[in-house]
Amino acid sequence: MNQSGLPTPPPGHTTSNANPASSSTVAGQSSNDASLASIVATITSTSNPFHLNQYLRNCASREIREALLSSILPGSQDPLNLLNARNNTLGMLYILSARLHTVASDKPLWNYVESFCRDFVPEHARLAPDRVTILATGIRQFAEAEGNLKLAITPLSDLLAKYPPTLSHLTTIHPIFLMTCVATRHFTAAIPVLSHPITTIDLSLSDLSYHDNLLHHYAGGMALAALKKWQGAEELLEICASSPGSAASAIQLEALKKLVLVQLIHHGKTSPPPKYMHPNLMRSFKSSPYANFVNAYPLQRDQLRAIVENEQQLFLNERTLGLITQALDRAPRWAIKKLTTTYLTLHLSDIGRRVGIANENEVKSLILSMIESSEISAEISVDGTVSFSDLPVKFDKAEVDRVLEQAQQQDGLLMRLEKEMERNKEYLTKAVKSKEDAAWGPAMDEDGAFGERPSGNWADEMSFT
Amino acid sequence: MEIDFVDNEISISQHPVTQRKRIRLVDDAHPFDLDAYISGYSGRTAFDRLVHIISTCPAVAPQALKLAFAQIEGLRDPSLYQTAMNAYDAVADLPDVQLPPVSDVCLVNTAWCEGVAKKNQAERTKLEVELKTYSNNMIKESIRMGHRDLGDFYRATGDYTQALKHYTKSREFCSTSQHVLDMCLSVLELVIEQRNYAHISSYIFKAEGALDAAATAAASNTASSSGGNSTTPVLKRSSERDQVQPKLDFAMALSHLGQANYEKAAHFFLKVGPSDSLGDWIGKASEILFPLLAPGDIAIYGTLCALASMSRSAIKSQLAGNAIFSAYIEQEPYVRELIQSYLSSDFKNVLELLERYSTRHYVDIHLYPHVYDLTNLIRNVAVVLYFQPFQTIRLDRMSAAFGWTVEEVEKEVVALIQSGQIQGRVDSQNKILKARKVDHRAELFAHAIKTADEIQSTNRKLLLRMRLQQADLVVKPPKSRRDQDRTMEFLQGD
Repeated sequence: MNQSGLPTPPPGHTTSNANPASSSTVAGQSSNDASLASIVATITSTSNPFHLNQYLRNCASREIREALLSSILPGSQDPLNLLNARNNTLGMLYILSARLHTVASDKPLWNYVESFCRDFVPEHARLAPDRVTILATGIRQFAEAEGNLKLAITPLSDLLAKYPPTLSHLTTIHPIFLMTCVATRHFTAAIPVLSHPITTIDLSLSDLSYHDNLLHHYAGGMALAALKKWQGAEELLEICASSPGSAASAIQLEALKKLVLVQLIHHGKTSPPPKYMHPNLMRSFKSSPYANFVNAYPLQRDQLRAIVENEQQLFLNERTLGLITQALDRAPRWAIKKLTTTYLTLHLSDIGRRVGIANENEVKSLILSMIESSEISAEISVDGTVSFSDLPVKFDKAEVDRVLEQAQQQDGLLMRLEKEMERNKEYLTKAVKSKEDAAWGPAMDEDGAFGERPSGNWADEMSFT
Repeated sequence: MEIDFVDNEISISQHPVTQRKRIRLVDDAHPFDLDAYISGYSGRTAFDRLVHIISTCPAVAPQALKLAFAQIEGLRDPSLYQTAMNAYDAVADLPDVQLPPVSDVCLVNTAWCEGVAKKNQAERTKLEVELKTYSNNMIKESIRMGHRDLGDFYRATGDYTQALKHYTKSREFCSTSQHVLDMCLSVLELVIEQRNYAHISSYIFKAEGALDAAATAAASNTASSSGGNSTTPVLKRSSERDQVQPKLDFAMALSHLGQANYEKAAHFFLKVGPSDSLGDWIGKASEILFPLLAPGDIAIYGTLCALASMSRSAIKSQLAGNAIFSAYIEQEPYVRELIQSYLSSDFKNVLELLERYSTRHYVDIHLYPHVYDLTNLIRNVAVVLYFQPFQTIRLDRMSAAFGWTVEEVEKEVVALIQSGQIQGRVDSQNKILKARKVDHRAELFAHAIKTADEIQSTNRKLLLRMRLQQADLVVKPPKSRRDQDRTMEFLQGD
């Protein structure tokens, strides 16, 4: 059964197993004579998770550690049989994550993975965040190798639900899970995760990179857009596109393209991007066919259609054709909506002319569907005259109370953050320093003002071309 | 810097499409008295205006050409003959324009040309030699005057680049702020003549700086000198300021007008002092070297800009109640009529007057690029003002008040609603314009709720952003490319 091709430790070796307490302290030195059996024994006997983590981390030289962990006990006994997720979280985590990455795929392993994800103790698992990441990628890879990516959704979702203290903590599992959901088109599975916006970044909880943040929000935005939850999609895509950085990433550009299309579908127009968005992004966006599409939206339908036809291949390759088509279909609605702010009554034929639909019946059914979805409020009389009225503004006491409460919460949060900030040593040093600089500032200016005025070179200010 | 502005003008006007758009009629509906108009100007500006008239109004082109030729002999630049004839030929070449050839209208005075060219050559050599001597002797004041004289000379002979070069060079040899001020004013005259509006403001600021410096210098002088005669220099300085300020205001106004900044332009036009304070920039007396404008121009520029951009009450207080400005308005009686009609809400008359005098506006060298925009703005303001007191109004009543057809009114009103200038909606079936009724309470609540949500989500996004930065989870350029980028930046920065 030893498919890893590495020498199985000689059976006699297992007996020379040091006692757990000492082995955890001298883990570094004893690494050479470690064997899987001794490791398992340590796992089962050590009660202190810190020591265990330390031991597992250093239990063998780097090259053979993974192979060792993924091997099988003598007598072809599976070490996982001896462990259970509740009591031996760390041990199982190490073994599972190592095992998932070996080439071998054995069915029984999957049961262990699923039960582990269900039952593990998060506090212990948090001691080894890197192993959790390896486990999560392993789960995805394993499911992919099985040819059934859907398999990965349940364990990943269980893992994600338990591992972070709250779902608002970003972890490396987030993007893996969401990417899996999007790839398998199981968008609804992502909703419980996406209903918690990410607010906390804790590097000790998970070994994050900026890719994880971008991918999480990008994949989340895609999932919500596919579910037509435009508002959420807009927010997530915007976070992705405007993430901080000294360079612009390709993911951000894709996110920006999708963000703009989502805005067109949801609002009928684009809103200005946040000021802190990387300038290169807007520049590359402006030179893409998407910018032309935005400029022509929603009134010049012929031009929009021409753009879609000419650039179909591009849109198809960039997987935006679906959003583009939806935006195109909604264009006349936005045009009609604009008319309601200008006109009280209009004839169906007039509306058709302004919106670019020749068929009156089509206009009529469009307006009816808009009234049904309460996008506009209007009446159509027998002779084809449409009278628009204002949409009734709906609000009730409960809603106002909700908003007020939220505002108070926000205020509290911000106050707390500000106090935290003011206690921050780094901030204080900087503030004191800049105050000192400011004190020097005006004096310097005065010096400049009374100093000698720079003369000459006046002629250079005008360029003689 | 457009050194060959006049040439540019001609190359543009040779383009038939632009030209056709620019052609203005002179007929009973659009009266225009060329002789009366041009009598308000003299010298170079008169010539420039005539050339512009030649290319805009074919109807009076031969007459304008004759007048232009007459003007040339009073100047010192023989190349102007060519400029005028080019403009005339360009118009004559247009389809549907029948004009007699240049030779039938008037003749080039070749003897004068040769004489002037010779004289110019001699004077230039003389001035250059003088400047060289001064430079060798290192006498600052003389060098400054040498540059100034050469600048004046080149300006008179139409070489604006050289003129500007010498004027700006003289700045290095200025020893008092009065000299700087003189230099700034010379350059201002030059750039205004060139219609180089973007450059005007920087010289105004320099001139104001020089004025301030002069004032402080005077103040410190008086403070140091004994108390007895201390009042005289201060008085002198402030009168200096009074003399220069109107010119600067006018230049500023023109610069704003040139850049289509109508509200600011109106503000500065209305601030310009009485016409005699503009001194040698205005009028036509023969001893004036470089006149720029007629007082009537200020009235027209100021009024049009004000009507297009200012509120009704501001017009009433600042324009109609402005004693100094009414002196200008006296020069152009129709402007007074325009203001009166506007204030008495007789918008039909306002629009008719604008149309009637459109030729007068289009032939003005400073105003013509803006006439279309200004007219549109005034028309929009008129429609907005007219509708203000009404809750609902029938479009046919509006059409009667403005002299338009109902369709035109509807188009105009719809455009204004869409741009947000009229709060109302059109009942297209019954042709009624209705003011929008707003439930302020509901709107306030809706707005508050929306804003709360927005702020919350923005806060969330910003906090996340902050945390990302704290954790240094920021997008970094790929390692392999980083060096390459640095080289690129270096190259670009170079």
